[in-house]
Formats: sequence, C-alpha cells, structure tokens
Amino acid sequence: MSPTATAERTGEVLLELSGITKRYGANTVLDDVSFKIHQGEVVGLLGDNGAGKSTLVKTMSGVVTAEEGDYLWRGEKLGTVNRQETEKRGVETIFQDSALVPSMTITRNIFMGRELTNALGLLKLRKMDGIAAQILDSVVTIEGIKSPRQLVGSLSGGQQQAVAIARAVHFKRSLLILDEPTSALAVRATEALLNYLLQLKSEGVSSVLVTHNLHHAFQICDRHIVMNHGRKILDVRREDTSVEELTAAVVEGPEGLRRHREGKPLA
Amino acid sequence: MSERSGQVTAESVPVAGGAAVEDDATDSTSATSAPGGSAPTRKRTLADSAPATTAERLTERLRQVRGRGALEIGLVFVLVQLGCVIYYLVDPVGFPYLEKSNFNVLSQSIPVLAILAIGAGVLIIAGEFDLSLGANFTFCALVFTRWYADGASAWAAGGMALLTGIAIALVNGILTTKARIPSFIVTLGMMLFWEGAALFYNGTTAALMVPSETVKQVFTADLGFFRGQVLWLLGVGVLFWLLVHRHRLGNHIFAVGGNPAAARAISINPDRVKIIAFGILGLCVALAAVLTAVRTGSVQPGTGRGMELKAIAATVVGGVALSGGRGSVLGMVLGAALILTVQDILLLGGAPGFYLDLFVGLIIVAAALFNRMIEGRAK
Repeated sequence: MSPTATAERTGEVLLELSGITKRYGANTVLDDVSFKIHQGEVVGLLGDNGAGKSTLVKTMSGVVTAEEGDYLWRGEKLGTVNRQETEKRGVETIFQDSALVPSMTITRNIFMGRELTNALGLLKLRKMDGIAAQILDSVVTIEGIKSPRQLVGSLSGGQQQAVAIARAVHFKRSLLILDEPTSALAVRATEALLNYLLQLKSEGVSSVLVTHNLHHAFQICDRHIVMNHGRKILDVRREDTSVEELTAAVVEGPEGLRRHREGKPLA
Repeated sequence: MSERSGQVTAESVPVAGGAAVEDDATDSTSATSAPGGSAPTRKRTLADSAPATTAERLTERLRQVRGRGALEIGLVFVLVQLGCVIYYLVDPVGFPYLEKSNFNVLSQSIPVLAILAIGAGVLIIAGEFDLSLGANFTFCALVFTRWYADGASAWAAGGMALLTGIAIALVNGILTTKARIPSFIVTLGMMLFWEGAALFYNGTTAALMVPSETVKQVFTADLGFFRGQVLWLLGVGVLFWLLVHRHRLGNHIFAVGGNPAAARAISINPDRVKIIAFGILGLCVALAAVLTAVRTGSVQPGTGRGMELKAIAATVVGGVALSGGRGSVLGMVLGAALILTVQDILLLGGAPGFYLDLFVGLIIVAAALFNRMIEGRAK
C-alpha cells in the first residue's frame, strides 16, 4: 500500500470548506464550493484564469470572508473567519509577489510579525540572524544567498520564494498555500521547490499548490481540484486521473471533462 | 525509504522541460533532492559564501548601510564639512564657519528641522504623508506660548503642546486609515484647517512669552560651542533610532510601508501601525514647536508655514524613499543638517536671500536623483 494512500485515509481532516459562496456585486465568483484538505496532503488547485482560484485562496487564508458556507478547522467550525484566526491555526499563504518586503533584510522578513524581542520590545537581531542562517542552511538550498542580512529586494525570484517558504516552515505552519509559486522560477529552483513540498509533506504539513502548470501539479500532488467559473468541477486523487483528463477539465471545463470520459479527447 | 511519499520519490521529480538540470547538477541540487529529512552528503551553506576577511565584511556592512540610503548622504555631509573647514582655515575672516557664533546658529536651527524630519520620515517609511505638519507646528507653538504666558508651569504648557500635536496627527491618521482617504488629501485639508484654527485661537498678532531661566536652561542652554537643542536632538535621535531600527514596532513600520499586502498576510494590522506613525509625527512636531517657542519667545501665526515641505525635503535628502519602506533615522538627521549647512554656507558667503532657496531646491532634486539610482539598484 502506498504511503500516500495511507496518509489520505488516516490523515485527519485539517481544513474543510463547505458550501462556500462568494459574490462581488452581481458577480458570483465562488458558487457552492466544498472540499477537504487532510493532514500531510498536497492538493493541486487548478483552473483557468477567472476560475475563482485566487478568491478561493483568499478564503482559505482568511483574507476574504464568504457570504455563505462554513470554514471548519480540524472539524471545528470557525465563528469568524479572518486572518488573525487562520494565522493562529497555522495557515500561511505564499503569494506570488507579495509575501515579502523587498526593502527589508532576509532576517527581518523571516521574523516579520513574530520578532524575537526582549521585554522592552527591542529586537534580538543577532539571535534572529543566527536562526535565519540556520533555517536557510537547513531547509532551503538555493544558491547565492550570502547572508541573512541581505535585502530581500536583491534576491532572485527563486531565492525570494525560498525565504518565504523557510519562514513558513520555521514557524511550523500546518497548511501552506502557494499561489503560483513556480511561475517566476528557473527550472532548477522549481525542482527544488517541488521537492521541498514533498519534504514538508513527510513532516505532516499540508499544502495547496495553485498553478497553471499541470505538469508541476501532477508530479507532486496527491489530489487535484479543478475550478471552472467559480464551481468545483473535479476533485480527484492522482491515482484516478491523468494529465490528459486534468488538461481537458482546465482548458474546456465540464464539457471537455465529459468528452474526455467518453474517450474523445479534445481536438 | 518508508518516509518517501507515494509513487513520487524525490529522484522522480524531473521538472517538465528540465532535462538540462541533470547535466549541471551541483551539490546544491543533490541536497534539495533529498526529501524526508535524509541527510545530504554535502550541503552548500551560507558559511560558504559568507564574508571571510575584514575587507569583505566591511563591504557587506557598507552595502547594508547603503540599502537604507544613509551612506551617500553621510559621505556628502562629511565632504561638505571638510570643504567648509578648509575654506575657514584658508580665509577665517571671509568665511567664519568654525566660530562660536556660527555654531550657535546652526545648533539652534538644525535640531528643530531634524526632529521634524524624523517625525515626517517615520511616517513616510510607513507609507503616508502629513502635509499639516507645519500648521500643527504653529498650533503647538501657540498652545505652549499661550499657556506658559498665562502662568501655567512649563510642564503643563509642554504637556498641553504634546497632547495637541499628537491629537492633531492622530486625527489625520484615523481619517487616513479608517475612512480610507489618501493622507495627501486629508492632511492638505487639515493643513488649511489648523492654519485657520491658529488665527481663531490667537488672532493675527504674535503670541509672546518670557521663558524663565530654568526653562531656557532645559531647552536652549548655552553650552559654549553648542546650544542645548543639540542634546534634545541627540536624545530624540537615539530614541527613534532604537524604535525604528531596533524595535519590533520599527520592523512593522518598514513592513507596512514596504509591502502592505505582505504585512497583512502575516497578520500585522497596517492601520494600527500607520496610526502609531502619525502619533510619532505629532510628538516630534510638538517637541520641535516647544524648542522654537522657547528660543524665540514669540510665535507668529505663520511660523510653521512651509515647514512640512522642508521636513519632507530633509527626509528625501536623507535617503528616505517617498514610496515608503526605506529610510533611516540617521539619514533624516543628516538630511536636515545638510540643507541647513548649505544655507549657512551661502549666508556666510554673503549670498542674497533668494539664492538660498535656489540652492536648497537643487540639493533636493539631486538627492531625489540619487535615491532613484539606489532604488533602481536595490531592485
């Protein structure tokens, strides 16, 4: 039996969204979306532009509150869903560009909002630098980072992602949401990142990978959720699907999915 | 191998189109392709590329200072001072720079502008402006003078001035963050409001006071070459250097100004941080107003007019990015000092009044150009 399957069957349900509906004015961007994410699971969230991926990410991370539907964490319904509540539970979102502050050092970014201070609130910079160096050494192996006191703005896209991930890992987040993490990365950095998600998984951390790149998603995700015009049209484990089916669902929506299942792949 | 996850093992993660990766696989890639915590054979660490020699460490240190924008201004400041000293040594009569009288003037004007620049600069780092700084300054100076002249103790008058300054700034902060009106507009309106309020409160005549010897000693003591205001600047400078560069709050101020979305994602409340930054500005404005009131003993209703632009100019000269998120307290102080030193040089050289603004204007534009170049490189 594959360990993945075991994890999925025995893994506790970490996050459950149930009947989530979100409207912007007359525009329904999420329409009755429900799914579960288990502990230690890597879930691919796929869909074309405008499918509702970003809003779903914001809902999961607590930045956006849905009009209808429930947010359950480890089976317990959250009364109010906001960033403070989800942050407390260990949800961390790594947005494509906005996870870090370019004008600050790596150390200050890693400890942003969770600074180590003395009783007066003064920063323990030396200690934080030391820990940051350790984190960067132990979890992220992206070349070219010289010192934790480098400004993040001077790093490449891959290095910045690495720092954001290092931060999430150090603070023992339980659910990592990565919004298009590979779009700015070079090939090798992408490989490192994907491997890194697998490493996290083995440590029991769940992640949601939002991506346009089906190949990246298919390689490492245990399960795939495909969104189309605000609806979930596919929620399937890797064993039960193929890159072709996912492609059909993402590109052509429910229609393409139906045709694929009837054995008539898209032209 | 039991920790390996599913069918996908680490080695089986070739990135689509990434065949070239294997060709130049270095120790770093072999390290990354070992998930599940298995120990890599050779791992590239920070220590490998960390500065080893003193020279390298110094370069690294300089680069960090540059990143905050204080290096260029520091160099320019030192050069200007050197030039002045040399000029003085050559021609002490024609250019009395290193004289007690000159330093007395400088040490009274620089601290006031520098303290204002610190207030304006901290707020700019947080991503907001306060154009009502000058009007706030006038109002605080009037409050202090009137209370003191009416027989209140210096403590009470000073306390009232501080409360006034902080309250005026906090109103700006709350309107900016809670009502979501750009601070530029809010504080532009408030500038006119408080200018009018100063006339309403005091009329068009000057408010007068005669500070006691103790008050003079506390705020503007004659320390030989320098005046007491320099000590106030030193205190305020160290305090805010600690707060901005060495305190949790400072970290949040940079974060909020540098990338509000990132700050929010990490559950820092940008509104709260910005309101605090407005409060800091109010505190600085009130203190600068008290220093000025004690020195002059008379406050005109137009005393602070244009002060907001001078303070903002000083921060720009000192390397603060107007877009927020970048700057240093040392830079702000040096920026104020440089602007006033250049004014002083022109005065000593006997330049007519209108020359002053001409040169100060040039310095500001040149400083902005410098900043632009630094920012370009930082990105």
